[in-house]
Amino acid sequence: MPMDFGLMDLIAARLDRISPSQTIAISTKARELKAAGRDIISLSAGEPDFDTPANIKQAAIRAIEQGQTKYTDVAGTPALRRAVAERFRLDSGLDYTSDEIIVSSGGKQVIYNAMVATINPGDEAIIPAPCWVSYPDIVALAEGTPIVVPCMAEHGFKMRPADLEAAITPRTKWLLLNSPNNPTGAAYSAAELRGLCDVLLRHPDVWILTDDIYDKLVYDGFRPATIVQVEPRLRDRTITMNGVSKAYAMTGWRIGFAGAPVELIRAMNKLQGQSTSGPSSISQAAALEALSGPQDFIAEMVATYQQRRDLVVGMLNQASGLRCATPEGAFYVFPSLRGCLGSTSAGGARIDSDRDFVTALLDEEGVAAVHGSAFMFAGHFRISYATDTESLKEACLRIQRFCGGLRR
Amino acid sequence: MATGNNDDAAADGFLSGCMTRLEVPATIAMAQRARALRGRGEEVLSLALGEPDFPTPAGVIEAAHRAALDGQTKYPPVEGTPALKAAIIRKFARENGLTYEPSEIMVSNGGKQVIFNAFMATLNPGDEVIVPSPYWVSYPLIISLFGGVPVFVDCPEETGFRLGAAALEAAITPRTKWLVLNFPNNPTGATTTRADLEAIAEVLRRHPQVHVLSDEIYEHLVYDGKTHVSIAQVAPDLKPRVLTLNGVSKAYAMTGWRVGYVGGPAWLIRAMGSIQGSSTSGICSISQAASVAALDGPPGVVEVMRETYDRRRRMVVSALRQIPQLTCAMPQGAFYVYPGIAACIGRTSAGGRRLDTDEDFAIALLEEEHVAVVHGSAFGKGPYIRLSYATSDDILRDACGRIARFVAGLT
Repeated sequence: MPMDFGLMDLIAARLDRISPSQTIAISTKARELKAAGRDIISLSAGEPDFDTPANIKQAAIRAIEQGQTKYTDVAGTPALRRAVAERFRLDSGLDYTSDEIIVSSGGKQVIYNAMVATINPGDEAIIPAPCWVSYPDIVALAEGTPIVVPCMAEHGFKMRPADLEAAITPRTKWLLLNSPNNPTGAAYSAAELRGLCDVLLRHPDVWILTDDIYDKLVYDGFRPATIVQVEPRLRDRTITMNGVSKAYAMTGWRIGFAGAPVELIRAMNKLQGQSTSGPSSISQAAALEALSGPQDFIAEMVATYQQRRDLVVGMLNQASGLRCATPEGAFYVFPSLRGCLGSTSAGGARIDSDRDFVTALLDEEGVAAVHGSAFMFAGHFRISYATDTESLKEACLRIQRFCGGLRR
Repeated sequence: MATGNNDDAAADGFLSGCMTRLEVPATIAMAQRARALRGRGEEVLSLALGEPDFPTPAGVIEAAHRAALDGQTKYPPVEGTPALKAAIIRKFARENGLTYEPSEIMVSNGGKQVIFNAFMATLNPGDEVIVPSPYWVSYPLIISLFGGVPVFVDCPEETGFRLGAAALEAAITPRTKWLVLNFPNNPTGATTTRADLEAIAEVLRRHPQVHVLSDEIYEHLVYDGKTHVSIAQVAPDLKPRVLTLNGVSKAYAMTGWRVGYVGGPAWLIRAMGSIQGSSTSGICSISQAASVAALDGPPGVVEVMRETYDRRRRMVVSALRQIPQLTCAMPQGAFYVYPGIAACIGRTSAGGRRLDTDEDFAIALLEEEHVAVVHGSAFGKGPYIRLSYATSDDILRDACGRIARFVAGLT
């Protein structure tokens, strides 16, 4: 046998199903330009620019000093699980007991646990697009088939009941819903969810994972809604997922959680017991303070995000060739750049795709954004406004200049 | 598929095939049993846990404070922070004589996630993994989860629970993808020697398809003047197919912080990073900052723990050796002893329980004397029991007394 045995032979087939990262090329390039001394404004990050509130950090420090440095229950500490159940009750009127709660190392692990614990080869998961690319990746890694359903800008990037009905087959196991959405910021109202629930009631074999991680970040008085709240009869086949990363600016602490029927929680717990065991005990103590301590931080953060959103939407709509809707939530906007396709930039780059657009924008104006294809939706790009107002203003001016310089 | 009102039926039809291959580990089942007993108000002496009873060192805690206050609260890179990877590279160079590049290092949520990532990234259905027995329960569970086949190789008590080269050679087939090495060993406390590893390396040179997962999480806990040796160090020519796994949990009493790490070939690390990127992303930023301080900290901290464990080890072994029905090897590593209980099998306890297996023994010992241990068959080798001496001297003394009374009461 040859001695250069390795890569090809050792890697499992399931790994081929993960698509290579679409965003890595652009973020690598942005880092290189920055390192070379270029003035780069990055609007590509998916995390809050706020720091974790002081009371939460102090709770973590207290936990360390009190010796909370040992293995926790795999599903999370009893105190945190109770606090999660209480938050679900206060925020959405959901009624979960603490054995119907799991705490994981980030919301992503909740999704991963749920998919690996339930998907058999060939099972289908319906994913409304634009979507966070980890959904199809995780479904594929679990050997299922992602069914990506495009949701048009004209419909506010939301799935309509008829779209859902048409996508369901006898092999459908999951609907993965994300509201407010990454990358569009679109959020479903209770009335919009009602229509989807009616379809789901007709298909009792379809389970629902609702990723509500951005639900504290909604604007103009919008009232977020979640599936089980709208239709309690779907409770015994829904996973309600949330976490502290976005609402409490705690991305690095890695705490996500979910409420779900106890049998599914038990299976996810079993899988987590063999993959990572429980999340960091310190982070769990911090998350406990986040969920049960003072909540005023959120309102201040939301007011700031709303101002930035309005600023960005207004300025982007003044750029020639762009069209930008005003989304209900999250900290993203997802403008259409179709009006720019087929042109040539001031720097001489052909703009035939969303990827060409963001590459040239970075090269020529030093603004990093993510192309829509990375979210399975071409012809758009994603801007994160989780950055300071001055940088946002400057970035939007540069985008206006870039678009103004495009020639047919 | 059922629709949900009958919950168990719903779960039966709904869960994936891989979940049926995933059992509850016996260690957890035993812990649950002990907890139930405690719930009834009974005092239970637990020697069942694999967790240090020391607090995390002060310097590590201070580093975590600083990290939280400095705002190191953002997403860390999937494969670990540059600072922690650099500290790990220094650790491997200093303590193991191993040279790694940053692209050859990855940080995970505990050593367990390293194993999970490695097997998920590499096992196709039917691939074989050689697991020396007795073994940590999670190895075969994770292997089976991904359709792999654990192939057990017996490590007999008479040779100090060491893995023999001939036994390894006999277990290798064309489908063998991995060999798992775990020295110092959980559950036996067995360590390995340079000569043993050289013999194992010689076998592996004849089988280039076999990769090695060397789980060295108990590295710092070796006694009697022994020093830990690492396979990639003993056989540098094999390093391109070795994953060297370690972590801060056991050496620095940091189980709750959840930080394990691994050094290995860049292409494999990349594949494991791809799995971790889809399952959890990078691990807690505060824990990573704390781990830098642990790895770069003064060695004295580990030394104090080691001396304490050493004293407890001698105390427990000498107490158990006074019980004529037990055999007890003197382990040279980790914080476990693994006495044989063959002479107790087939007898009846004072409480009237018939002991047909080591599990019967462990359950009767818990119910009648309130001492929690884990039966050896859970680790693939009975009739033995595993005792963890990562607990106070008083509890250990009391527990050994109760075990002696329990065994003396057998008829």
